[in-house]
Amino acid sequence: MAKFALGSEPVVGSLALSKKRDYRVTNRLQEGKRPLYAVVFNFIDSRYFNVFATVGGNRVTVYQCLEGGVIAVLQSYIDEDKDESFYTVSWACNIDGTPFIVAGGINGLIRVIDAGSEKIHKSFVGHGDSVNEIRTQPLKPSLVVSASKDESVRLWNVHTGICILIFSGAGGHRNEVLSVDFHPSDIYRIASCGMDNTVKIWSMKEFWTYVEKSFTWTDLPSKFPTKYVQFPVFIASVHSNYVDCNRWLGDFILSKSVDNEIVLWEPKMKDQSPGEGSVDILQKYPVPECDIWFIKFSCDFHYNAAAIGNREGKIFVWELQSSPPVLIAKLSHAQSKSPIRQTAVSFDGSIILSCCEDGTIWRWDAVATS
Amino acid sequence: MASKGSASKSDPTKDSSVMGSQETSGNGKEILSVIDSVKKQVAADRSVSIKKRMEDNRQKLLGVSNHLYKLSTEGRTSRTNDSDRSIDLLTKRQKDALDMHNGVDASNGDRDSSSSQEDAHASTAVLLGSNVPVKNAVRPIKLSEVKRLPPYTTWIFLDRNQRMTEDQSVVGRRRIYYDQNGGEALICSDSEEELIDDEEEKRSFVESEDYILRMTAKETGLSDEVLESLAQCFARSPCEVKARYEILIKEEKAVGGSKNGDNEDILQNGNSFLDKDLDAALDSFDNLFCRRCLVFDCRLHGCSQDLVFPAEKQPSWCPADEENIPCGPHCYRSLNIDSCQVLKSQRIARVSSSMNGDLEEKNVPSSGFTGTQILSRKKSSGPSARKRAKSCQSESASSNAKNISESSDSENGPGQDTTSTHHSSPPKTKLVGKCGISKRNSKRVAERVLVCMQKRQKKMLASDDCDSFVSGGLCPGDMKPKSNSCKENEDTSSSSHKNVKSPTSGRSRRKESSTQDGHKFVQSDVLDASSNDINTDPPATSSDDNLRKEEFVDENVYKQELGDNKPWKAIEKGLFEKGAEIFGRSSCLIARNLLNGMKTCWDVFQYMNCSESKLSCQVGDGANSLVEGYSKGNNEVRRRSRFLRRRGRVRRLKYTWKSAAYHSIRKRITERKDQPCRQYNPCGCQTACGKQCACLQNGTCCEKYCGCPKSCKNRFRGCHCAKSQCRSRQCPCFAADRECDPDVCRNCWVSCGDGTFGVPSQRGDNYECRNMKLLLKQQQRVLLGRSDVSGWGAFLKNSVGKHEYLGEYTGELISHREADKRGKIYDRENSSFLFNLNDQFVLDAYRKGDKLKFANHSPDPNCYAKVIMVAGDHRVGIFAKERICAGEELFYDYRYEPDRAPAWARKPEASGSKKEDGAPSSGRAKKLA
Repeated sequence: MAKFALGSEPVVGSLALSKKRDYRVTNRLQEGKRPLYAVVFNFIDSRYFNVFATVGGNRVTVYQCLEGGVIAVLQSYIDEDKDESFYTVSWACNIDGTPFIVAGGINGLIRVIDAGSEKIHKSFVGHGDSVNEIRTQPLKPSLVVSASKDESVRLWNVHTGICILIFSGAGGHRNEVLSVDFHPSDIYRIASCGMDNTVKIWSMKEFWTYVEKSFTWTDLPSKFPTKYVQFPVFIASVHSNYVDCNRWLGDFILSKSVDNEIVLWEPKMKDQSPGEGSVDILQKYPVPECDIWFIKFSCDFHYNAAAIGNREGKIFVWELQSSPPVLIAKLSHAQSKSPIRQTAVSFDGSIILSCCEDGTIWRWDAVATS
Repeated sequence: MASKGSASKSDPTKDSSVMGSQETSGNGKEILSVIDSVKKQVAADRSVSIKKRMEDNRQKLLGVSNHLYKLSTEGRTSRTNDSDRSIDLLTKRQKDALDMHNGVDASNGDRDSSSSQEDAHASTAVLLGSNVPVKNAVRPIKLSEVKRLPPYTTWIFLDRNQRMTEDQSVVGRRRIYYDQNGGEALICSDSEEELIDDEEEKRSFVESEDYILRMTAKETGLSDEVLESLAQCFARSPCEVKARYEILIKEEKAVGGSKNGDNEDILQNGNSFLDKDLDAALDSFDNLFCRRCLVFDCRLHGCSQDLVFPAEKQPSWCPADEENIPCGPHCYRSLNIDSCQVLKSQRIARVSSSMNGDLEEKNVPSSGFTGTQILSRKKSSGPSARKRAKSCQSESASSNAKNISESSDSENGPGQDTTSTHHSSPPKTKLVGKCGISKRNSKRVAERVLVCMQKRQKKMLASDDCDSFVSGGLCPGDMKPKSNSCKENEDTSSSSHKNVKSPTSGRSRRKESSTQDGHKFVQSDVLDASSNDINTDPPATSSDDNLRKEEFVDENVYKQELGDNKPWKAIEKGLFEKGAEIFGRSSCLIARNLLNGMKTCWDVFQYMNCSESKLSCQVGDGANSLVEGYSKGNNEVRRRSRFLRRRGRVRRLKYTWKSAAYHSIRKRITERKDQPCRQYNPCGCQTACGKQCACLQNGTCCEKYCGCPKSCKNRFRGCHCAKSQCRSRQCPCFAADRECDPDVCRNCWVSCGDGTFGVPSQRGDNYECRNMKLLLKQQQRVLLGRSDVSGWGAFLKNSVGKHEYLGEYTGELISHREADKRGKIYDRENSSFLFNLNDQFVLDAYRKGDKLKFANHSPDPNCYAKVIMVAGDHRVGIFAKERICAGEELFYDYRYEPDRAPAWARKPEASGSKKEDGAPSSGRAKKLA
């Protein structure tokens, strides 16, 4: 980004450690040889707050965090297609509460696994290329949204297996979509970002009847009148390179590119003219050695902290909502050298997991200090 | 910056401001320190405001996440109730793991004992990281393979081509790619200069900068030194800062004394629309309405097209049978049938008294012509036209004639006499009605002339056949402004094939051309004759009418004042002019359709008469004006004759010209591959196209969208095919790679339905044109499926014969420059949907297109693509090269230039990507930079 005008500079967090909390490695597992691209706790169902899933290669694995750093393997799934390489996984559930694991990857297929019966529930065929991220709507956990290399974002109903909306077209992304996220309270709103260096905010308000219709649809899913949402309500050029992760923080957006930092900014929309508006960059969270793409950060349930790995296997834990931002902890281990693709922070932030390019999972537990 | 802490912003320098501005240009240090302190102030404000907003957001988010937490636990309680029967496996495993962890040894023993009754789900959790050794690995559950889709990028269906919108351009933008194999991002731009982008964009001053500027100026004044340091601080030039300061000062003043001003502004804005004149109000229409596609916001031709005003005007429209029915309570007919006569007769009296002698000559222009004068003036609707309208009777007469003749001209085909009479009769009656007035005033001399002329013409024409009727309509139409000239007359008539008619009309015209009115009568006469009947009554009735009206003059004088109360606004005037253009002198129609709610019919009528009388006064006032007019007319004639000479020369050139045009077409036909077609843009020529014509210079034919008259030599004339169905090279349209156009070709037309509902009598003999398939979207059903060769493929649903039209290849229209840039990207992705359309545009179906974009390349294809001109636009049709059976996959030859084809294109079977002949993108994939 160019130089900021006076009076609109962001508050940049200092890399000085606050020593508020300390984390120690309590476990380390080698899942396989292939890189692990995603790890995620289940925040959908409080029964499973200590359950997490990882994906890597053609494998989806479900674990449980137990006391004392113990990790239990609960379930494991293997795609029969050896060439499948899962990039992303998310927890969802049926309308009756059955836990689902939704995973997607290079094949462009979205696999919905019924973790309750350990069977594949549905496979969504539709994306024209690899799926880069899947997220679940926390208010309606049967709805998932997927970001794909085919330049589209799609909204699916995992209960009925319907592709409800496709966010692409005249105003859509112009390169791979790398990340997407549901607004925590505005059920109509999603934000997506990708290789076209933009972050786009979409609204499905006008299409909500279709979302409702998807729950009661009894005919074949392919006969559902899938709609295109061609125009986002807001397009932000915050970064000048690939934007590979974005998350809502209330009405603000956290996003990162390959510039060694996470940026918090506020989209200022103009109501009269959709698509236009300005960006006010509020804060920056520096993350050294984080200049390769497809490194994603994650937050705890209450968005107090965010953890992000870097190219050298270190993890930075930032206090998100303080101003100026405070670096809670910097996690490093002599043997953790491989790029960390994704982290997961447990419900209360006491456990941080990281999955690495070399196929290892690291568990860090908060140590009671002060 | 919305909520900058207002408290902290309260000036810390207010008291010192007076003193500060006096000492001003003291030392630079002080200035800097002042700026510095203000800057610090701003920075502090900023961090405070961010802190506040973060806190607000935190509060909000806390509520949200608590709500979500409730949701996630609520689910549990309700679920545990009804899922007691069958605990799901995830819960079971969770429990197992927990049990195992808690009582490691115990569970170990349990498990051993129960291992005998192992069921499908018996595999339990595996503890990792505990001290207990791992007993058995979790048995992985297989996810059965699902056939994946061939890769594609999400695309939008287009049923017609679209021009690229500006924001979709990739030119001048840095693109980053990653190498799928190397896993590393690469920055790609074609040249260094493209990297230097508009970095130096002018930034507008933000609020904080304004604040600093104001505060500093207040404290230290605004010396050069201050400006200098401020500029440094803002990273701008001092003059920029100064200009901004001046604006600020102005704004401040404006705010001070604004309260009243604001109200005024609001008042003015309230009815600003009505205050605008019509041109301004029509601005959006002019800018957004596509006159070629007849839609607003045309995606193909874009907005703000050059406006082309056709040289040939449409005839004013008049209702056929509404003549004497009042349109409403305020209709001029019901209200003031007679006071209008008062107006008129007064005016006439004034005029006639001013020039006692030559009534015949002078009254005709004054009363008879005024209407048409107005009419023609409105028609030409430009500032220049205003001057012209004043000038000469000859022109108004001729343009009048032109107008009339066009009404029949517009249906210039044979075998359409029914409709043409129907349409042309209204203007006729109107005209004759006007004649009635002049007749009366000119002691009925003209009437006699008219009658005998009519008789003669009728006699003459009655013997003629159908064709000559047409010529009667055509001749004056062709002549347009040159109608006075015999030479011109011969010229036009010889250009058409109706030689039978021309001597008579020429002769008669010559005979009458000594007097203007006579000439006019002949014109109307010709028209009457051409329409072949019924002209007996209308003149009689209308003149009767007028006479009758006149008798009531005295009674109704008082009504004259009525309706004069409201002044006419600019927009109303504008609307009236438009109305006159469309409806002629029908005040009923103008009031109803254009001035509804603003003016009544009576108002319109009065206004119309008023403006007429003004005009007639101009004519009648000066005794010389008529003479002047004549002399001007002569000038006009002379000027025209000069023009005629020029035109004659052009005509001599016609053959070379024409042949040249055809030559170039033919050339294109023969060596189509090398020569891209040229993009057509309508020219705005008002006369037959000369050397400066844009079309001519561009090397395209003129089309129906051009401004030039139909007689333009550069026009593509369409075909006259009778039997070939326009499917062979014999059809000039087909040979020129054009679709037939019902507006242009003689026999190519479209009927509605099965012909049972009042279809106009057929032209030609049951001729059905087969060369309008793109225009009519008569395409085959194409299916999208997995290709037998690679990736996606397009398949045909029904069998078709050879050369059958299958469908259109649609996409985004992009410039060649854009295509070069995109092509490079596509080459990297090994998939290109570019198609060279013409010299200006390339079709890109990557994101927008139709299913035919998935048709694969084959060196031995069953289809071929062809660029065809359809109604002025180039479009790509896909045609069957041979007979194709239902369900067959479609292939066509992308016609790569051999040396440029990318490696993968030489092995087309191995790639699902495509490229069309000479797509400029090819062979440029090397530069990664």
